[in-house]
Amino acid sequence: MGTGGAILRLAGHPLQAMRPQPLGTSRVTRTPYLLVAPLTVVLIVFFGIPLVLVVVVSFFDLDKFDIIPTFVLTNYAEVFGSSLTYALYAKTITYALIVWAITLVIGFTVSYFLVFHVRSVLVQMALFLLCTVPFWTSNVIRMISWIPFLGRHGLFNQSLIAVGITDHPLEFLLFSNFSVVIAYVHLFSLFMIVPIFNSMARIDRAVIEAAVDGGASRARVITEIVIPLSKTGIALGSIFVIALVMGDFFVVKIMSGGQSSSVVAAMSNEIAILQYPPAAANAVCLLIIVMLMVAAIMRLVDVRRELSG
Amino acid sequence: MAASGHIELRSVTKRFDQTLAVDDISLTIPHGSYCCLLGPSGCGKTTILRMIAGHETPTAGDIRIGGESVVGLPPVRRGTAMMFQNYALFPHLTVLDNVAFNLKVRGVGKAERHRRAREVLAQVQLDQFADRMPAQLSGGQQQRVALSRALITEPRVLLLDEPLSALDEFLRLQMRGELRRIQRELGITFVHVTHTQLEAIAVADAVVVMEEGRIEQAASAHEIYTLPATAYVARFMGGQNVLAGTVIAVNGGAVTLVDGTGARFATPVTSTAPAKGQEIFCCIRRDRIKVEKLRAPLSSVGEATNVLAGTVHAIEYQGSYVKVTIDVPGREQFVGNLPDHAFLTAPLDIGDAVVARWATEDVHLLTGDSTRTATGVRPLPLEAQRDGVRSR
Repeated sequence: MGTGGAILRLAGHPLQAMRPQPLGTSRVTRTPYLLVAPLTVVLIVFFGIPLVLVVVVSFFDLDKFDIIPTFVLTNYAEVFGSSLTYALYAKTITYALIVWAITLVIGFTVSYFLVFHVRSVLVQMALFLLCTVPFWTSNVIRMISWIPFLGRHGLFNQSLIAVGITDHPLEFLLFSNFSVVIAYVHLFSLFMIVPIFNSMARIDRAVIEAAVDGGASRARVITEIVIPLSKTGIALGSIFVIALVMGDFFVVKIMSGGQSSSVVAAMSNEIAILQYPPAAANAVCLLIIVMLMVAAIMRLVDVRRELSG
Repeated sequence: MAASGHIELRSVTKRFDQTLAVDDISLTIPHGSYCCLLGPSGCGKTTILRMIAGHETPTAGDIRIGGESVVGLPPVRRGTAMMFQNYALFPHLTVLDNVAFNLKVRGVGKAERHRRAREVLAQVQLDQFADRMPAQLSGGQQQRVALSRALITEPRVLLLDEPLSALDEFLRLQMRGELRRIQRELGITFVHVTHTQLEAIAVADAVVVMEEGRIEQAASAHEIYTLPATAYVARFMGGQNVLAGTVIAVNGGAVTLVDGTGARFATPVTSTAPAKGQEIFCCIRRDRIKVEKLRAPLSSVGEATNVLAGTVHAIEYQGSYVKVTIDVPGREQFVGNLPDHAFLTAPLDIGDAVVARWATEDVHLLTGDSTRTATGVRPLPLEAQRDGVRSR
């Protein structure tokens, strides 16, 4: 826990950090505030204030061309009254769960391999960097490059036909749910690998040996020791992946070829036609749902332990 | 209680890539004995322990427990249990679940394993801490949890890797007595790795002194301390001054040797006396040395046997005795442990010119080294103890 715990408390209750300090040491106690000041300013100006504005606007009224500053609940009534909302949430949450499950398996197995099977630290770091390759180029290029690969006459289909596995091009590869999930997994696996690797690497090898010494099989070591001790990493990775998928509209737009949509894609359409108050109401709903999901994960796993350990 | 915990290492060698960690070691540890592997870090003692436990595989040689070869068997099928250096408690499990873990993975039901874990915890007075997490315990309590976890499967051999090194001095002394008591009570074999000389001789029936992957001497604690086999053991155990020289006279039960500075020593010899002209090592216990202020001129001292002249380098009060370190020109420092009353009746000060004297019968010939010099081959110690360690 140590100092990390103290910093976390500091963020929550600034007075707590000051209390143990004797009088006359105000110069010392000011330093932590100076350290967090830049981030605080950035967060307030570029996140806090806009967020408050979004919430305020979500209660504004709208006629054909004007936004009317008033207090109405019509925007929310529209959001909850429309069957489209539920369909979009169902779609987005389905994506999130599928991508979460796949990245979790990839994140766990890759981390396990890196931590327990790669002996040389140098090789470990090299392989770790390899995981970041998808981020060496822009998101747009990454998305676009799937098209010649997965397309109807793309590399993958041609290879399948050439090998004789199929005689006609597979249609589901591109502009489908399949391609959306592939793109998400490709993008977000790293966000699962890094935290899981981080918590797994901290497991004391002697603890694993002690389990083996006690008679645990390899599978038992994983279920009894490795998974419980990687739990915080799994939780952090899950928060990243779920929040990222829930908030995406670009990948879904490109990779589904406009055939599929997401909650944020719908918002982006509303903004495009200047329907700000309904978009704001939608955004507030999404924010609350993602926050509930994160809260649920945090309830299951004490993530603070990971941050402070 | 389970089968015999008689351990036998037969020509065991362990290599890590290019490094030779354990070099062709043979060792027998009888069932029910308390054996300490003693040596500086990197001497191979922990590797031997881990090979007995099954966490390392020997590169060559055989390891037998209770007469059966265990090489290649997992730890659980060896009937051994290991206590790890920093205890390696499972940080995510309560004390109770830590202790019950080994039963859990062996398929014992929850109620039964918790009942037995509570029993074991009660034996080490930790039952009221059953629901705590390991991080909430003190070092001494963690150590007892680790011990309980190792003992719950009723092993025939308990392997302890530096079990006391993480404790403070007071707890260390308390726990080493406790370990000895538990070993007696259970009647199983304990193999205890340590780098602390006094810890080894305090707890063990048999001490194995190791250096650079080889056994220097395997014998009872008393013999290791008072009758070391080699200069290395004599120096490492710390209670001795090592003397080296060339034999110039052999007469009856004693030989006289002279070292590079011209000082003459005598040592009693038993069966095979070294020949004239041979290089030999012997040692004299620190507590058998008399130190007094130099009165006669140095030249007359030079003629006598078992006398060294020098100046006092350091004086350390140790309670029951006073450790006097003497700088002797041309040789390594010489130490005399004087009884406190003797020191107080004739006090010395740093820088005093002194002579150290001792009796020939208190000198011990280091046979291990002389054999080595004579044959050019490093021999394995041949001592066979009644209830100690035998080594071939």
